Amino acid sequence: MKDKLTLDEDEIDCLQELMNISYGSATAAIAEIIDRFATLSIPHIRTASLEEFKEYFKNKLEENNSHYVTSQLINGTISGETMFIIGEESACNLGKEFDLEDDEIIEEELKDVVLEISNIITSTTLSRFSEQIEASITFSPPSIKVFQSSDEFNDSYVNEYNYIIIISTVIKFKEQNIKGELLILSKDDSILYIKEALNKVLDEY
Amino acid sequence: MIKNDIILNTIDNGIIILDKDLNILAWNYWLEIRTNIKEDDIKNKNICEEFSYINAKKLKRKIKAVLITNNPSYYNVDPHKFLIDIKTSSIIDDIFDSMQQDITIVPYDVENKLVCLYIYDKTSLHKTNYKLEKLNDELRDLSNRDPMTHAFNRRYFGEFSKRMLSLAKRSEQCVCICIIDIDKFKNINDNYGHSIGDKVIILLAKKLEEYVRTSDIVARFGGEEFVIFLHNTSLGCAHKISEKIRSNIQRLEVDTSTNRISFTVSIGLSQYEETKDSNNIEHTLKRADDALYVAKESGRNQVVIAE
Repeated sequence: MKDKLTLDEDEIDCLQELMNISYGSATAAIAEIIDRFATLSIPHIRTASLEEFKEYFKNKLEENNSHYVTSQLINGTISGETMFIIGEESACNLGKEFDLEDDEIIEEELKDVVLEISNIITSTTLSRFSEQIEASITFSPPSIKVFQSSDEFNDSYVNEYNYIIIISTVIKFKEQNIKGELLILSKDDSILYIKEALNKVLDEY
Repeated sequence: MIKNDIILNTIDNGIIILDKDLNILAWNYWLEIRTNIKEDDIKNKNICEEFSYINAKKLKRKIKAVLITNNPSYYNVDPHKFLIDIKTSSIIDDIFDSMQQDITIVPYDVENKLVCLYIYDKTSLHKTNYKLEKLNDELRDLSNRDPMTHAFNRRYFGEFSKRMLSLAKRSEQCVCICIIDIDKFKNINDNYGHSIGDKVIILLAKKLEEYVRTSDIVARFGGEEFVIFLHNTSLGCAHKISEKIRSNIQRLEVDTSTNRISFTVSIGLSQYEETKDSNNIEHTLKRADDALYVAKESGRNQVVIAE
């Protein structure tokens, strides 16, 4: 089963290219909505077991003291979850990009800003991606949690997944120290669908 | 033909249709009865002028996001609590004055730049969450504190001190540990009974809490022994604090049925040192305990600093 759920080099290349195109829609949307230019790095794609993912996630949290982590469920032909991880300092800078005044830089407002940027990136990216692979998807409302340390990471957080495709990208805003990471986690059935769709694209070109 | 009006006016959530300038084009029956505002009275009016507490800048941005991405945008009830203030005061339950809402904004007519806002009543869910959080806090408190004195217990001290030590090391701050033990406590119990002994312990815990900062913690390690974790405190300052504790305690009095008694404490003090304690706060505690032993052996009612 593990082999069926892992992507080979060609499939990863193809997925990376499709995600690159999808991220283009996200940066264009951000530029239009908040009039700021953001760049999304070339997506880094890896497949991981649940344990490896948990380790990966915990390591992310250890880099800084406090992190805002959003999660949003995806349902439809491909299902899974997206997570957006951003450190406190980056979240404060993001708040400024969203024209928050100094007295508005508080956790409640920052949560809203992080939820909004995460929703924009997730919905535009995945809508575009699903178009390309002829899938239909819907999103649940995102939720957000502030992690003070990796100790708070709940072990039952992602128990629904046996094998996970991690698509991570870093969002950066010009002249601002903002770094956030988007993770797309897909469930086992979806990995099979994605594999099939990628091979269809590879056969066409 | 499907009559959308029936759906609009019978559905169990609020529906508002807005244009990009925030003018209200539709306001369903659910909202009419809850706000006592008729659709005809509010139609074509600006939502932010009618409800001045709505953040126009934020709402416009969210609508823009919906129209550009052609995807839903969400107002999470966590930061916003509500979009339209609907009072929910109840005689038996007054956790929230206003209905707690979740808002989803979806594209309605992208060409004409119209969006639809769905307002969901989440008050009941949030009440349950609020009560659960409160109960969790109480449970956490019960598991972290000593029931008699309400000082933290040894288990919590262990977790807290490890976490604070790692923070202190990262920010290169000093950490000190103070062990306080009531002198000749057995005599108090033997002469005045356990209830007076308990009274002494409770008074000491209360006073120790008063003498330290909120960033420090006082824990009861058992019997008549307390430990204080002094965060970002040099050994010199910790010594001054310990001396202040010692001298203030000897002036305290506890009422018995026949008279008023006073008591003294001995204190062992140590500062975390990487070379001596090798990343283990238990070693710092051990050195403070050894210092306490010296204080007891040297006549009690004194502070001794660990070597």
